Amino acid sequence: MSDFFLLISLPYVAMFSLITVTIYRFKSKKFSLSSLSSQFLEKDKLFWGSVPWHMGIGIIFLGHVVAFTMPKLLQALVSKTNILYILEGIGLIAAMFALGGLVVLFLRRLRNARIQAVTSNMDLIILSLLTLQILLGILVATLYRWGAAWAPSTVTPYLWSILSFRPDVSYVASMPLIIKAHIVIAWVIILFMPFSRLIHIFALPLEYITRLPQIVVWNSRRLKEEVIIAQLEAQSRRHFLKSAFGITTGLILLSIGIADKVIPFFRGPSLSAKEKEEMLKNKLEKMKATIKQKELENERLVNEYIYIADLKDLKTDEGLYFTDYSMKPALAFKDERGLPLLYSAKCTHLGCTVTNKVKNGKLLCPCHISHFDVKTGDVLDGPAPKALPTVKFILMDQSQQIVINPDKSKLNEYKVYIIKEGNT
Amino acid sequence: MDVRAHVSMVFHLDKCIGCHTCSVACKNIWTGREGTEYMWWNNVETKPGTGFPTQWEDQDKYKGGWEFEGEVLKLKSQKNKLQGFVNLFYNPNMPGLDDYYEPWTYKYEDLFNAPLGDDQPTAVPISKITGEEISIESGPNWDDDLGGSNLYAKNDPNLEAMTQEERDLMFEVENIAMMYLPRICNHCANPSCVASCPSGALYKRGEDGIVLINQDKCRGWRACIAACPYKKIYYNWKTGKSEKCILCYPRLETGQAPACFHSCVGRIRYMGVLLYDADRIPDAMKVPEHSLVESQRSIILNPHDPKVVEAAKRNGISDEFIDAAQNSPVYKYVVEWKLALPLHIEYRTMPMLFYVPPLLPIQGKVENGMYEHDPEKFFTSLDKARLSVSYLARLFSANNESIIISALKKMMAVRYFKRVQQVPDIDKDKVEAIMREANVSDEEAEAIFAMTSLPTVYDRFVLPPIQREEAIEPKMSTEKCKGCTGCGEVQTPERGL
Repeated sequence: MSDFFLLISLPYVAMFSLITVTIYRFKSKKFSLSSLSSQFLEKDKLFWGSVPWHMGIGIIFLGHVVAFTMPKLLQALVSKTNILYILEGIGLIAAMFALGGLVVLFLRRLRNARIQAVTSNMDLIILSLLTLQILLGILVATLYRWGAAWAPSTVTPYLWSILSFRPDVSYVASMPLIIKAHIVIAWVIILFMPFSRLIHIFALPLEYITRLPQIVVWNSRRLKEEVIIAQLEAQSRRHFLKSAFGITTGLILLSIGIADKVIPFFRGPSLSAKEKEEMLKNKLEKMKATIKQKELENERLVNEYIYIADLKDLKTDEGLYFTDYSMKPALAFKDERGLPLLYSAKCTHLGCTVTNKVKNGKLLCPCHISHFDVKTGDVLDGPAPKALPTVKFILMDQSQQIVINPDKSKLNEYKVYIIKEGNT
Repeated sequence: MDVRAHVSMVFHLDKCIGCHTCSVACKNIWTGREGTEYMWWNNVETKPGTGFPTQWEDQDKYKGGWEFEGEVLKLKSQKNKLQGFVNLFYNPNMPGLDDYYEPWTYKYEDLFNAPLGDDQPTAVPISKITGEEISIESGPNWDDDLGGSNLYAKNDPNLEAMTQEERDLMFEVENIAMMYLPRICNHCANPSCVASCPSGALYKRGEDGIVLINQDKCRGWRACIAACPYKKIYYNWKTGKSEKCILCYPRLETGQAPACFHSCVGRIRYMGVLLYDADRIPDAMKVPEHSLVESQRSIILNPHDPKVVEAAKRNGISDEFIDAAQNSPVYKYVVEWKLALPLHIEYRTMPMLFYVPPLLPIQGKVENGMYEHDPEKFFTSLDKARLSVSYLARLFSANNESIIISALKKMMAVRYFKRVQQVPDIDKDKVEAIMREANVSDEEAEAIFAMTSLPTVYDRFVLPPIQREEAIEPKMSTEKCKGCTGCGEVQTPERGL
């Protein structure tokens, strides 16, 4: 529920406010647009605050934009570890610059009486949010390392799912709280942006690059043009109507043309019979999968124990995937004595599924290269913080009696069941 | 030839009494709002002195104006546009509040609310920015009339032009000399503030040359404050926008002279139209320093020349404007008589406000308790003037002393010419010799005298009609032009969040 509100509703509210309020202010409230510089009132501390802050946040922002717009390129780049280290290093240094500058700016705003005369509540809110966001960003970068490697396949698809109006939180839903908080505060900052001094970002005067040095404005020439238009309108109303008709027709045709391109972009292309058939099949399969899923869920709700496999079918070098009581993937192996060995297959790091092939007695999580001991489930190396939890099971013989002391000669007849938490 | 008209100005410094009436008139109309308390769009400085803001003429510090490098003019404050962008985050050349002064008022209520006691209650000064008690350390005219001249006058950047001997003479008590320098925005023809503005908010009006800031476009990037060498653009700390002298254009458009002109007690201010050749800007400013004054004069066109009139009409300049240009007192002072000179033309912004330099009291010295000077050498002793010619040349002719000397000689010749008419105590032949040396005819001397000493308000302000709203109304619906007359703001100007 909170995921839905914070990761789907909030982004749309934030983007709506950003676009509409920014346009409104640039169209109708032009006087309110300003960098609101306070250099005039205090300049020394401003230098040590403003310059590192803008430099640092500029680099950080650029990094986030690259991860968002060119995830494939970034992933290709950071597959080489030294490039990964360099990029992450630059990011961390830039973040430190930004944080340092921000702290100077914050203290200056709180302590200088002249600056307080031009400080609004919104300034304090924005400064607090930015400080929190930078701190969270640094925490994410240090605790959950190599964000440049994992973000393009998790956060980027989430952002695109929001932008393409097919919101899907599953990419980030199971992420640690700190990463989620970083994402949520980013949306809050975007929400506040058009109501605060942050709007000056959109006033960046890029037109200055190409502008000629001098600007001359003629009131009379502007006036004359208006007079000519007015006279034309009065002289020939028919001509005006004609041109209006022409323009309207043109606009309609143009909008049809645009709509023709835009609507399929959102609705997808129209389909041939074969494609329709394929799509229906896909849908059917998805529904079947859902039914299966629901059946499994129901089974786990009703039954105290669930059949997994015959003991003789389990192998020592290749695990059998099954679904445990919490509807998460799990793996079943046989140990050297011929008894079952059941683990949760959900990696304790960021929740990827562990592979079922055993190599040199090790299980691999492919997402961040964590290795687990197949005998105990313990972490051998990699970022995973904890061992894979074991899954509780029982053995039953052919007459559906629970086996307390397994008979070595009858192992092949036994069946493996998993049992509900709490049962013994 | 691209003929344009410019409403330009002459200040006759010989008549300025330093009363600050102009400053007060301006303050009352335009800068009484919060955020503008410290601004003086019009101020009067005592020279020698450090001025307002302190040492504004020190361009090594403030980097105002243009620099002539190779074949191009470059802004001193930003060598290239990249530097312009870097300066958005912190402008290293911009003066801060302490370079002006912290505006203050007094706690007057303390005078009425103080409890009964043995002492008289006092009203302590409080800052108009923070509201806290402050000790006043400077003000808008802190060095008025050479007050604190050891601190202020001696730090005047223009003294560099003088020899040590000249400086010592100037600051000797019995020799001490000063002049007043009223300053408003020069409405330059080659403005560096306009060129520096990243947002393109600053512009020059085509019809009359007034330089304005579009408050809706200004984003408070502050580049103009550093780029203006005269420091006549001020940052409004409340609204986060820059403001400057608007030459009272709402008054001009209703046929009135600007408030500072109209209120001038000494009647030192003249206003009129100049026609100039816009095609030759900024090339006219790409000449060596000593010929800058001549170069600027050369782009001002003769309004009586039929070719110029024809070209002006082709450019859409109205007959009224051409009439005003032909009767312009400014044209007479600047081009015909060559008496009025631009302030600090070496900044190469081509200021369109001209100053008639003050006539100098000559040096004398006290001997045997008598102040002695030689009245016979009154005219030939310009080199002994108390405010040295080198100092005036530094202010008004980019160190070209011959321009100052010829202007001062002409003014002196007019005095002799009138004196011999009224009090015939000087030899007429001698006066004629003086007139020849100063290169001034009887008619010209009479005209200069009349314009200097006896002008009516209509002689001083020859204003063409710029009534914008009257031009608009007969032609089209007034509904359509709502808000486009006057200052143009139709919303309450409020600081953004």
